[in-house]
Amino acid sequence: MELQRREFLKLVGTAAVVSSAFGVVHVASASQQAVASPSGERIVPVMCGACGAGCGLLFVERNGRRYLLPNLEHPQPGMCGRPASALQMWSHPLRLKKPLKKVGDKFVEVDWGTALNEIAAKLKEVVERYGPESVVITRHDIHSWFLPLFQYLVGTPNLIGHEGTCHSGSTAARTTVLGAGAPPTVDPDYENVSYLVLVGRNLDAAMGLVRRLAVARERGVKIVVVDPRAPNIAFGSVEWVPIIPGTDTAFLMAMAYVIINEGLYDADFVKKYTNAPMLIKPDGTPLSGKEVGVEGDYVAWDAADKAPAPLDKAKDPVLVLSEEARQRVGGAWTVWELFVERVSKYPPDVAAKITGVPADTIVRIAREFATARGVIEDGWYAAKNGNDFDTYRLILILNALVGNIDKRGGLCFQESAGFPNVCDPAGPDVVTVTGVKLPAPKAKRLDKLLYPLNTSTFDAVYEAILTGQPYPVKALFMVGTSPLQRDARYQMAVEALKKLELVVAIDIFPHDHIDYAHYVLPDLMFLEREEVTTVRWTLHAAIQKSHKALDPPPGVDARHGPWILMEIIRRAWPDRAKAVGYDERYADPHKFEEWERQLVEAALKKVADRFKVSVDDLKKTLEERGFVVLKKKSYGVRPYKANLGTPTGRVEIYSITALRNKLDPLPDYREPLYTRPKAPDEFYLVSGKDNVVSSHFAFTPNAKYLGDRTVWMNPKDAERLGVKDGDEVELEGIDKGFKARARVRVTNRVREGVLFAYAFLGGRRSSLITERFAYLREGVNPQWFTTGKIEPVVGSAPTNSTVRVRRL
Amino acid sequence: MTRLAHLWDQSRCVACGACIAACNAANFNSEGRENKTWGWLASNIKKVEILKGPRPMLYLIQCQHCDNPPCVMACPTGASYKDVDGLVKIKAELCIGCKYCMVACPYEARWLNEKTGLPTKCMGDECLSRVKAGLDPICVAVCPAGARAFGDIDDPNSKISRRLARSRYVTLLVNKGTRPKFFVVVGP
Repeated sequence: MELQRREFLKLVGTAAVVSSAFGVVHVASASQQAVASPSGERIVPVMCGACGAGCGLLFVERNGRRYLLPNLEHPQPGMCGRPASALQMWSHPLRLKKPLKKVGDKFVEVDWGTALNEIAAKLKEVVERYGPESVVITRHDIHSWFLPLFQYLVGTPNLIGHEGTCHSGSTAARTTVLGAGAPPTVDPDYENVSYLVLVGRNLDAAMGLVRRLAVARERGVKIVVVDPRAPNIAFGSVEWVPIIPGTDTAFLMAMAYVIINEGLYDADFVKKYTNAPMLIKPDGTPLSGKEVGVEGDYVAWDAADKAPAPLDKAKDPVLVLSEEARQRVGGAWTVWELFVERVSKYPPDVAAKITGVPADTIVRIAREFATARGVIEDGWYAAKNGNDFDTYRLILILNALVGNIDKRGGLCFQESAGFPNVCDPAGPDVVTVTGVKLPAPKAKRLDKLLYPLNTSTFDAVYEAILTGQPYPVKALFMVGTSPLQRDARYQMAVEALKKLELVVAIDIFPHDHIDYAHYVLPDLMFLEREEVTTVRWTLHAAIQKSHKALDPPPGVDARHGPWILMEIIRRAWPDRAKAVGYDERYADPHKFEEWERQLVEAALKKVADRFKVSVDDLKKTLEERGFVVLKKKSYGVRPYKANLGTPTGRVEIYSITALRNKLDPLPDYREPLYTRPKAPDEFYLVSGKDNVVSSHFAFTPNAKYLGDRTVWMNPKDAERLGVKDGDEVELEGIDKGFKARARVRVTNRVREGVLFAYAFLGGRRSSLITERFAYLREGVNPQWFTTGKIEPVVGSAPTNSTVRVRRL
Repeated sequence: MTRLAHLWDQSRCVACGACIAACNAANFNSEGRENKTWGWLASNIKKVEILKGPRPMLYLIQCQHCDNPPCVMACPTGASYKDVDGLVKIKAELCIGCKYCMVACPYEARWLNEKTGLPTKCMGDECLSRVKAGLDPICVAVCPAGARAFGDIDDPNSKISRRLARSRYVTLLVNKGTRPKFFVVVGP
């Protein structure tokens, strides 16, 4: 027992009483004297910034060696190959070292003052000439807490992130079905799962999830991975289901078919906590109480009273109406009846033809999942085929069908740490965390005008730049993100970037977009800066502080991103800077830390008030341990004791929000947004990540070997085309005609008829890549081939495509 | 007796590369120079993928710390030796760089560190120092998947012994008679 407990603590990492492998964590930041522990170690709690997951790590200096270890006490401990290579990122020869200015077609080094003054002057001119909304800012996760302040100080609505090629579709599904938000507002309770299905998700991050899942695997829990290629997790003991790309919804529909036909669903949950009993009129809209003389906007048929009743008051709501009842409610149908009818289109043998997965495999997985009361993961990096909204709605519905929402081992709501945003809209204004009112932008965010249910759709910005519609876009700030590796309209993006009057890139590495910037400003990497933020990939409410572990290496004159942005504001509009307490005193980057801390303190104060703890205790614990767990996960709250944030307050199988946005309120299998392969030399090209892939990690010498810049091809396809391992082939996009060459890896890790290439890794094109790092240019950037078509309303752009292969 | 050994759980490994890259950071100072022997990064752990079988399969290969180590037998100077803790180690000051040990190892677990001109292998100096201080080697310390363990297989209560007691496992190239102490767990 004792061993099990210790193993558990080791794997999970809790805020309990475990001591670190080093005894007491000895905090010594780079700004202090290097205070050595008795054993000569320096240990600094940091949050990983090698991808967006933000795992808890310890920076260690021991025997003159520097490396990172997982912070096992942290609620979401790392780690993977990316942070293990962080010191290679830190001292990388290609790191951006000095501010660069584009002069003609070349970059020249300029000093910080020159760069900031020139950018400020140009920004001011653009805002005066075209309006503040002509300025767009894009981000990934780096500095994402701070960026809204810069945005509102400029006065633009257009802070538009990466989510259009990431989780915009799955987030729209979480919102419409569960009333939840971006990942991980809901997530599987990994350590307690009884059966786990991963659809297009491979747990390449966060590593705390892998740790928690390891606890479940110790119990022998089965994992099913539905993916056209075998991700790294499929090297281990999982069942890999190689599916035809873009057909996940048909697979899931057939699972629902089996679960419903065999009566394996949780009828009690479905009746009480989903809108399955809700009555829908023949025109597709919900029957309202007014129409049948009862209260409420939504109505069910109550078998107890043999009469219609408000959805949330029916004592015995029925899922299937009698004909007599149906006549009494004007020919309405229950949501359940409509859903069953929809699902009936996809018996396993029909789904097998669409998905390429044998019918008996679908039936077996459906039975295993339902009888184990399993969980299907709800999607993170999920923009794959342009039919994501349906896929992820159905995934959420399947979790509800087996009644496994917010239960131990189920799909759970994360406890909120309530860490406030730096700015929030409040009535007609925007209010900062320190209570300063800023004017709200007058214009609407341009991608939201086109895709109202999206999180962000940056691909829409390229079109706006080129067309001037819905309004002109003239300046772009790209902060810690790589749009040309990220977005689905590569060629359009290149044309659009050339048209802008001001392009500023703040980053640590020369990603492709750097070449199109007028100014390139070197940022600090995660080991060089402080950051206080929410711990994301845990079900507990927790916050963390990443400490500064190192100064930039010699020769790297990098500055903190938020300092760069505030200096631009101060130089363009000193009055606006003053309004948020920022003036020339903070032009000194060290002084800036003081100014930034007062924002963080204000945020911490709100957290402390919410959890009724002292702000000093919070700060002290963040200093010493790097994190604070504020509240442990409580199961069984939503939708049992509190309504969901959906219009009906329930799990919405039939989505009112989708209906209001003129989308099909029920999920269905829809064709992907690219032309399917038809000829023998035509293939799907799918892309994705693994724990050895991220935009920054791609640059490390380790990534040359741990990453993979080839295009994977199944041995049977290779034999058919006469292609051997290592051969060079030409790929031609079927929809866009773009051509590029790559080496083939012949491997059983990809389904027949499908090619796979890592996203963010291959085909780097920056002119700043030196001969030593020429291998960065090898392979393809999968975004060269994507169609750039965007899923309506939810704004998700497929990152998969189709290509023709020619042997060279 | 003490017989320190490594365990790698193939059924749990997620191939995240943490152990491989952390070995580079801790033992080779995050050096970016290529390990030309393996065509790999400067790390004592390499990855072997089986690309043509019925399903994807992975092996992580590093020094097997054999009870009957061919590298020690082949070493003309006594630089390679089996220590009392059961680990196979190298005394750099005795090594003449003849590379016999590299050739003798059936696992090809040694590579030539061009910086020192000497063969190198698991465990690196920082890992040996960590073990001496009672800490896990770096590859075990960083593993997020619970796929690694290290310890004394002669102690029935050690973590590694308990894990082996409840697992199905194999050792590699048994027919070579090396009696390796790198245990590959294939399932519960």
